[in-house]
Amino acid sequence: MSEERGERRPRPRGGRRPRRKVCNFCVDKIEYIDYKDINRLRRFTNERGKILPRRMSGNCAKHQRQLSEAIKRARAIALMPYTVD
Amino acid sequence: MNRYEMIYIIDTGLEEAARKELIEKVSALIANNGGEIEKVDETWGKRRLAYAIDYKTEGWYVLVNFKAPAELPRELERNLQINENVLRYLVVKLEEKRSAVKPRAARPAPVEEAPAEEAPVAEEAPAEAEPVAEVAPAMEAAPDTDAE
Repeated sequence: MSEERGERRPRPRGGRRPRRKVCNFCVDKIEYIDYKDINRLRRFTNERGKILPRRMSGNCAKHQRQLSEAIKRARAIALMPYTVD
Repeated sequence: MNRYEMIYIIDTGLEEAARKELIEKVSALIANNGGEIEKVDETWGKRRLAYAIDYKTEGWYVLVNFKAPAELPRELERNLQINENVLRYLVVKLEEKRSAVKPRAARPAPVEEAPAEEAPVAEEAPAEAEPVAEVAPAMEAAPDTDAE
């Protein structure tokens, strides 16, 4: 349909358009996500200590992989919890 | 030779002299097996563990950076595993390219009690005045040449 051109996805009626999230690590130009940097890592876990999915965090695939690795390392040496309740 | 980073957690029940001795022993183990210690960082000191390990809620963190042949970490881990004063350890290989960027706020000193205040934010770099100064004369010169 020609009138649909330019609009990639039809917006759900009544809902606001979801803002395109940008990867936090790309913005900060971080090459290596340090597992010791728990203040940064903590922002990407929910209050139960779970790692946020990409659709929530907005991270790119590359950094999300590194991030999950870093969080898992931090958990292994008790810098971050496996679970919170 | 690869670059590695190791963190291990010592039981806080261990008195200071014994702890120093243990840290020495681990360092010696690396050095005697063809490794090369770059840095032993004890600034983390006593920290609350995120979860209890053997019913302990605190541990003494030691961070070691070293260069070593690829066989050493296995031997190192074997020894740490045996020592019952080491609660946890983690040996990570550092990639050459990545290790350049290491964001980590250094804690001033191991504080014995109470949550330490956050370290002051690193002072901002002085604003670069040089490029501006260079540009300015050029801008001034331009109108002159165009003058009638």
